[in-house]
Amino acid sequence: MYKGYVVDRDLLKKDQHFILTCPQCHKGNDGVLNKEQAHKDLVKRPSDNMATCSMCHKPVTEKYTKSLHYTSAGQRNGVMPRFSKEDLKNFDEKVFEKSCRSCHASCGDCHVKSPAVAGISTGLLAKHKFVKKDESKTCSSCHGGRVYPEYTGEYGGEPDVHYQKGMLCLDCHKKIEFHGDGKAYASKNQVKDRPSCRNCHKPGSEKNPAAKISHQMHADKVTCYGCHSAGEYRQCYSCHAATGSRSKPGFILGLNPRDKKTLTTLRLIPTKKSTFHKAGIKMENFDALPNYWDSAVHNIKKRTARTRSCDSCHVAKAGFLNKEMVIKEGGSKANEGLIYDLKPINK
Amino acid sequence: MRNVRWLKVIMVIIALLLPLTAMARGIDPLVSTDWLQNNLENTKVVIVDVRKVEDYKAGHIPGAVNVFYGSWAIKKGDLLNELPPIDDLADVIGSAGIGKDSLVVIVGKTDKVPDQFDMTRVAWTLKYLGVQNVAILNGGQNQWVKEKKALSQDMVKAKAKPFTAEVNKNLFVDKAFVLNKIGKAVIVDTRAPAFYEGKEKLAFVPKLGRIKGAVNLPVGQLYTPEGLYKDKAALAALAGKAAGNDLNKELLLYCDTGKTCTAWAFIMTEMLGYKDVKVYDGSSMEWLADPVAPSEP
Repeated sequence: MYKGYVVDRDLLKKDQHFILTCPQCHKGNDGVLNKEQAHKDLVKRPSDNMATCSMCHKPVTEKYTKSLHYTSAGQRNGVMPRFSKEDLKNFDEKVFEKSCRSCHASCGDCHVKSPAVAGISTGLLAKHKFVKKDESKTCSSCHGGRVYPEYTGEYGGEPDVHYQKGMLCLDCHKKIEFHGDGKAYASKNQVKDRPSCRNCHKPGSEKNPAAKISHQMHADKVTCYGCHSAGEYRQCYSCHAATGSRSKPGFILGLNPRDKKTLTTLRLIPTKKSTFHKAGIKMENFDALPNYWDSAVHNIKKRTARTRSCDSCHVAKAGFLNKEMVIKEGGSKANEGLIYDLKPINK
Repeated sequence: MRNVRWLKVIMVIIALLLPLTAMARGIDPLVSTDWLQNNLENTKVVIVDVRKVEDYKAGHIPGAVNVFYGSWAIKKGDLLNELPPIDDLADVIGSAGIGKDSLVVIVGKTDKVPDQFDMTRVAWTLKYLGVQNVAILNGGQNQWVKEKKALSQDMVKAKAKPFTAEVNKNLFVDKAFVLNKIGKAVIVDTRAPAFYEGKEKLAFVPKLGRIKGAVNLPVGQLYTPEGLYKDKAALAALAGKAAGNDLNKELLLYCDTGKTCTAWAFIMTEMLGYKDVKVYDGSSMEWLADPVAPSEP
C-alpha cells in the first residue's frame, strides 16, 4: 500500500496540472473538512470522461477518442467475419461493450495510474504526478501477458535484442500510435505508419555478406520475425474455452493468414465455435477465420537457430505448422490453409 | 621439523605475494562505493549496470552502461541461468565497450535474494570469456543510493569495441564432469543449510537433497547484516572451514540454478586465492531431476 501523501507541496510546485484545483477534475467539495461531505459526488477516475482532459488538451483528446487504444475496434472487427447479422448484434450488446471495450485505456491509465487489469491496478505511477510515459507500469499492464514479458525475457527464454540495447516500447512505437491520427481505423493493420524493422535496418546495409545474401533470398517470402524470433513465445490454448485456461511456450511458423503467401510467426487464438454460445452467438461462419494469426513477436535476436542453420527450416522444419500440430478439438477448418510445405534446398 | 620450517617460509612468501596478485588484476575484486566515486573519470573503468532497463533509466551511477542481467544468463529448456551462445555474449561485451584491458565494475541491485547474485554471475561469465579485471560494487546500486551519491538518468551509449572471447572452459562444468568428480573433488553446496540438509527446496527444483558427498558453504554467510561482504579474514575462515585450506584443491560449487554459487566462487578465486574453482551450471535443477545422479540424504 502506498504510504504518504499522493499530492504534496513538492509535487504541486513541479506539475503544471496542479494549477487546477482538485474538484476541477475529481468533483467533490474541497470547501469542507468532513470526509463524507468532501467526497460527495467524487469522481475517482476523471479521465474516463474525456471532457475532463479535453478542457485543456482538446486536439489530442479528440484524436484519441478515435484511436484503437480507445475504441478497441480491432477486437470487434477481427472476429466479425465469423458472425451473421444477428450474431454481430448480440456480440456488440453482450460481449463487446461488457468485455472487450472494458479494456480501452483512458488518458489517466497511461499518464497517472496504471490501468486496472482484471480489476487490479498497481497504483499511481509516481504519486499523483502526470507522467509522459512509464512503459513498465502502463504498457506492461495490458500487454503483460505476452508482449512485455517476452520482450524483457521474463516469460522465459531470451530477451529481445532491442531491450538488451536499452530500448523500451516508445522507442519504436511512437506516440501517434497511441493518441491516433484522428482517423477511426477498423484494425491496426490499416494503420500505415507502424513500426517496421526496415525503418532502422535498411535492406542492403548489412555488414555480414552471408546475412545480406540470406536477406535477399528470403525477402517477401519470410517475415523478419520468421527468422529472427529467438524461439518460443506464449501460446494460449484455452483462454476462450468454456472451462479454465492454459498457456505454454511454443514457436509456430506458418503462412500469414492475411496474405496466405508469407511465412511468419503465428500465435494461436483458441476461439471455438462455442466460445460465445452463452451470449446466443452461433458463429455459423466459424470456419471463415483460422485459429492462428500472424504475430509480431517481441523476442528478436540477431542470431537464432534459423539464422545459424538453413537445415533448421529446410530439413528439420522446426516449428512449422503441420497437420499433426493444428488444434484438433473445435479448431477452424481454415487452419490447414496456413500450413507451408517447405521444399528442401537443392544443394 | 625441517619440513615444518620450510612450510612456514613458503606460507610467508605466499602471504607476501598475495597482494601482488591482486595488483596484477588491476582492480580489487570488490570495490567500494567511495572507490568507484573516485574513479568515475578513469577511462579504463567500465561500469556495467546489470539491472533492468527501466530501473537503469530511472537513475544510475554516472557513466554506467546498461547491460541487463538477461543478456548474460538465459533459460534453456527447463534450466534457469544458463549461458547464452558465446558469439552472442561476445557481442554483448564488445557493445558495452569492454576490452580485455578494461577494469570492469559490475553494479546490480541487492534488495532481493536472487537479484543480489546477478553481479557475481556476470563477473564469473566475464572471466569465463577472458575478461580478467572484473570487480563487483560492494553493496551494489542500493549502497550507492543509500549513501546519496550522484545519480544520472542519461542513457549512456558505450563506444563499442571488437571483442573475441577466450573461453576458460574450466570455470563452468556440466553434469557429466561433476559425476566423474564425486569422491575426487570437493563439491560445495552453497545453498542455505535447510536446503543442503534436504528439509526444504525451491518449487522449480525437482526434489529435496544434495549432490552426494557435498559440503555446505551457504552464500548467506558472505554478508554482514548491512548487506556488504564480510572482511577477507572472516570470509577466509568460513571458506576454509567448509572447503578446506588447500588452495590448489579442485572445488566444484553449485546451488539451485548456478547463479548464487558464483558469489562464493568469485570471492574464493579472486579474493581468497583458491586456484581451481569451478561452477556446476546445471546445479540442483538438473542434478536432482536425474534419478541416476547420486544424491543424499
